[in-house]
Amino acid sequence: METLAMPAINFAAIMPETILSAVAMALLLVNVFVRSEQKAYLGYLSLIGILVTFFPIVAGWNAPVELQSGFNGAVLQDNFSLFFKGIFLVSAALSILISDQYMQREGCNHGELYPLILLATAGMMLMASGTDLMVIFLGLELLSVALYVLAGFNRDKLKSNEAGLKYFLLGAFSTGFLLYGMALTFGATGTTKIAGIAAYVAANPMITGNQMFLVGMLLMGVGFSFKIAAAPFHMWTPDVYEGAPTPMTAFMSVGPKAAGFAAFLRVFMIALPAYKPEWSALLWVLAVLTMTVGNITALFQQDIKRMLAYSSIAHAGYVLVGFVAGNAVGTAGIMFYMLSYAFMNIGAFAIILLVGRKGEPNNNVADYAGFGFKHPLLGLAMSIFLFSLAGIPPAAGFIGKFYIFSGAIQAGYIWLAIIGVLNSAASVYYYLRVMVFMYMKDPVEEFDWLKVTPAHALCLLVAVAGVLIPGIVPGYLLELAQKAVFF
Amino acid sequence: MVNGYPLLTILVFLPLAGALFLIPVWKRPEWLRRLALGAGVVELALAGWLTVRWQAFQQAPGAPAGFLLWEDLPWIEGFGIRYTVGMDGISLLMVILTAFITVIALAVSWRGIRERVALHYLLILVMESGIMGVFLSLDLILFYLFWEVMLVPMFLLIGIWGHGRRIYSAVKFFLYTMFGSLLMLLAIIGVYLVHGSETGSYTFALPALVNTRIAPDLAGWLFAAFLLAFAIKVPLFPLHTWLPDAHTDAPTAGSVLLAGLLLKTGAYGIIRFGYPLFPQAAASFAPLLTVLAVVGIIYGSWVAYAQTDMKRLVAYSSVGHMGFVALGIAAWTPVSLSGSVLQMVNHGVTTGALFALVGMLDERAETREIAAFGGLWGKIPLFSAFFLLFSMASAGLPGLNNFAGEFIILAGSFRVSPLAVVLAFIGIILPLVYTVRLVQQLLFVTERQPLALADISLREGGVLAVLALAAIYLGVHPAPVLDLLKVPVGLLTGTP
Amino acid sequence: METFFFAIVALVAIVSGMLVVKCRNPINSALSLIVTFFCLATFYVMLEAPFMAAIQVIVYAGAIMVLIVFVIMLLNLRTETGSRYTHAVTVGTIIGVLTLIEIVYFFSGGRSGLTGATGGLNTETIERVGHTELIGRSMFTDFLLPFEITSLLLLVAIVGAVVLAKKKI
Repeated sequence: METLAMPAINFAAIMPETILSAVAMALLLVNVFVRSEQKAYLGYLSLIGILVTFFPIVAGWNAPVELQSGFNGAVLQDNFSLFFKGIFLVSAALSILISDQYMQREGCNHGELYPLILLATAGMMLMASGTDLMVIFLGLELLSVALYVLAGFNRDKLKSNEAGLKYFLLGAFSTGFLLYGMALTFGATGTTKIAGIAAYVAANPMITGNQMFLVGMLLMGVGFSFKIAAAPFHMWTPDVYEGAPTPMTAFMSVGPKAAGFAAFLRVFMIALPAYKPEWSALLWVLAVLTMTVGNITALFQQDIKRMLAYSSIAHAGYVLVGFVAGNAVGTAGIMFYMLSYAFMNIGAFAIILLVGRKGEPNNNVADYAGFGFKHPLLGLAMSIFLFSLAGIPPAAGFIGKFYIFSGAIQAGYIWLAIIGVLNSAASVYYYLRVMVFMYMKDPVEEFDWLKVTPAHALCLLVAVAGVLIPGIVPGYLLELAQKAVFF
Repeated sequence: MVNGYPLLTILVFLPLAGALFLIPVWKRPEWLRRLALGAGVVELALAGWLTVRWQAFQQAPGAPAGFLLWEDLPWIEGFGIRYTVGMDGISLLMVILTAFITVIALAVSWRGIRERVALHYLLILVMESGIMGVFLSLDLILFYLFWEVMLVPMFLLIGIWGHGRRIYSAVKFFLYTMFGSLLMLLAIIGVYLVHGSETGSYTFALPALVNTRIAPDLAGWLFAAFLLAFAIKVPLFPLHTWLPDAHTDAPTAGSVLLAGLLLKTGAYGIIRFGYPLFPQAAASFAPLLTVLAVVGIIYGSWVAYAQTDMKRLVAYSSVGHMGFVALGIAAWTPVSLSGSVLQMVNHGVTTGALFALVGMLDERAETREIAAFGGLWGKIPLFSAFFLLFSMASAGLPGLNNFAGEFIILAGSFRVSPLAVVLAFIGIILPLVYTVRLVQQLLFVTERQPLALADISLREGGVLAVLALAAIYLGVHPAPVLDLLKVPVGLLTGTP
Repeated sequence: METFFFAIVALVAIVSGMLVVKCRNPINSALSLIVTFFCLATFYVMLEAPFMAAIQVIVYAGAIMVLIVFVIMLLNLRTETGSRYTHAVTVGTIIGVLTLIEIVYFFSGGRSGLTGATGGLNTETIERVGHTELIGRSMFTDFLLPFEITSLLLLVAIVGAVVLAKKKI
């Protein structure tokens, strides 16, 4: 019996995931001893865990290549994945900050919430740094399973049950596509490593004629498109976003999408650079469809959570524009955009959450009548988030869009940029509608139930800063994003 | 920089700082009004001081020709975006107009605004900052930033304190402008990339981009995108439909600012960015611009005649007057361009004053229907006198300001497009028709309804008197203004 | 011969798979699912993966299906009416048939054949080293990290099941 040759493990490459998982498991144990009205402490503990996780991320920036790769090339913790890991941590932290209040109000503050969020975050990280299709797939599953539970976390509410179940069914469906695609790709190339696939494609140019390989790639694209909610694979989004507990909607509207893009980018850009014309033509159509369907449908929504769900579809479309561009500017733009999207979208959801009360989610746009004058500061914060979502300077959303469209124009996709910009103009309408209700209609409610906890205030403060500071002085972040591009 | 002081930056951000000072006293309307007016007056004083000292300034080092004041700092270096503000004669005029009209707007809303006073004044000051930025920035992205920043306060002003279909008008205003400006953003990126690939230095600085050689086809498209954004703002004929709604439904201060300043940003944009960036494309678009301008002049006056609402009437008259500005720009001769800039100032003063007057009447009688009034001359003589004066100014009576502007524009454009000038001449006559009718209906026929109207107060009188002085001064003696314009206009048209 | 055998098993797998969805009685569905699993196990054997076949039978067809059947019987589910979710059947059928035709057309082109790349393993290695050992080896070398992630995945699934289903948490 020959001995097992263990691969070069290099724990540094999965340090953030390890810390998060360890904290999650520890919290599961601690949870047993915490009484139900004090579950907020678990939230604080998980925040500490997230803060600690930032250290390996900062330390790993610009690390030498041999320290980036681990597990026989199964993961690669390069700057690209580190930037995305930062986005995931930010979105997880912001969502945790707003969770406790909501969960207590709705009577579902079970301590398992926080470990699940942390494990979902670890899953996203694995998607971002995975260079083996198996790692990407398992990261995606880890993320998805946790999200199914989080979407249905409010067990006593029918809507939440529906959200969880729907997400589960459609998620399983999409995972099937992805996995089938990976299997076919493996069959065609004999390896699951992305670098291996790239090498095989380079060595066997005839592979384009191999239907197995092509169908494999297409199916993987479909699987990823489900995850990033690109039209026409977006049908699950509105129902799930509407039904899920609001903090979890905030969480799943940002991180998982960013993770999907990270894996999507890595697989297609590294494994298939030779066939960029083909897949970018496909993605061109997908981007236009996604932006247009998202924006047009959002125009007709009365429920603000559904509206933001469709708007998030539209935003996925803008990000796809950067993907189609496929150049360094476009890719850096995607990263910058996802980071600023984390701040503005979670910030908006944080306000939505405050406006509701137990049993009355107050999610209709009309429920915001006069909100801006009853609570000037919250109204101002909401306006900033909405303007940022609409891409109006000086908010980070503008710089992100500017960046992505620059990339598209630079790559010669003028029409795509024009369609994107027209879409962006249309989107202004439905963001403005919320503003119109907040400032231009007479108040119906007093909003006297509204209480901002310190954690919530911190979340809003961070979100506003995260929207305004990169919007006014984006230099540093732009530089980071440019350095994070992997080609 | 003047003596080491970044005067232009102060000019841009002083109103914003003033707005921040309003926040601590947001519950005391009296303080708010005085503080806001104080900020506006300080700004006006600063702008005035610059005007007085203007001849003493030297060409700023490193600045393009004609720019006596110039500040340039790195901002987003990764993209070659800089914080560049500069002032030449045209900007100076626009800046002083902005400071002046803002003070007027702050003063006319003294009594009319009773709710949410803090926000109202705050928005006006924020908007002043935005407009100052538009008139001073020489970096395309900085310009775009201010261009958008000035939108938001106006949207809120119309939507919160407006009348009638205020929300519809506010959203319409916002969407129209946003649509144009986003396409302009793409064009900005386009110019940037063309210049970058040509010279290797990626920059958004206007002085550098002016020298870009762009393929004629591409230049045409890019200029079209710029022109669309600016034409919506001016507004040129088929794109004007937001304007009557926005003007009519805006509160008095909003109308004054909209007519006095926001429309000017469009014309200024064409002069400062559109033509210099794409001279050939602009020349080939000039006939179109001329036609639209002439159509706008006649159409605006024609429709104004049919209006029964005074504010709508003034709004449509704006379409006509701004048509003259566009005509002068299209001709692009030194004389016509000077006339256009002068006319921008004139229009700001007269239309601002007319909106203020209509607003005062509306405050008292709570209606703006022409048919509701009559015989005001006997009841409120002071008001009527001012109304007569500004109506005549608007109609282009010789000796008053609009006449000077329009005459110079027509004189300057005649050689380039004689037919257009002949047609535009009708546009001088038509306003006379509807203004005379307006004045007659309002001031002289017998009273139709018994309305208890008080004559203007001291504050209102002061505001109107200042405007009247400006109107008369600009009409009788526009030479100092034209002197200011000589150098920059010469540089722009290439005939120094 | 092998192709013929494959065709038969595949046919059974597809038919029983359709029965899982179409049967109105949940017990029948469950039993059809077992048949599908057995067919899959047969495929594994044909692909020279006896260990996988054994696992498939023991874990899925054995343990999991027994649990499912238990639950169905304990809950005493009545036969579903089956008419609630039929609004998109026509559209679904059309799209399905079109996709099928497309796939058949696409794959029958045979321009370069469907030969995939062979990995490091062949029949000879499998017979020499043993299938189980090969799986074990790759699990602790090449796929060490995925293997570990799987444990996290199971943990999440367990926690999730408890959160969603336990009566009092």
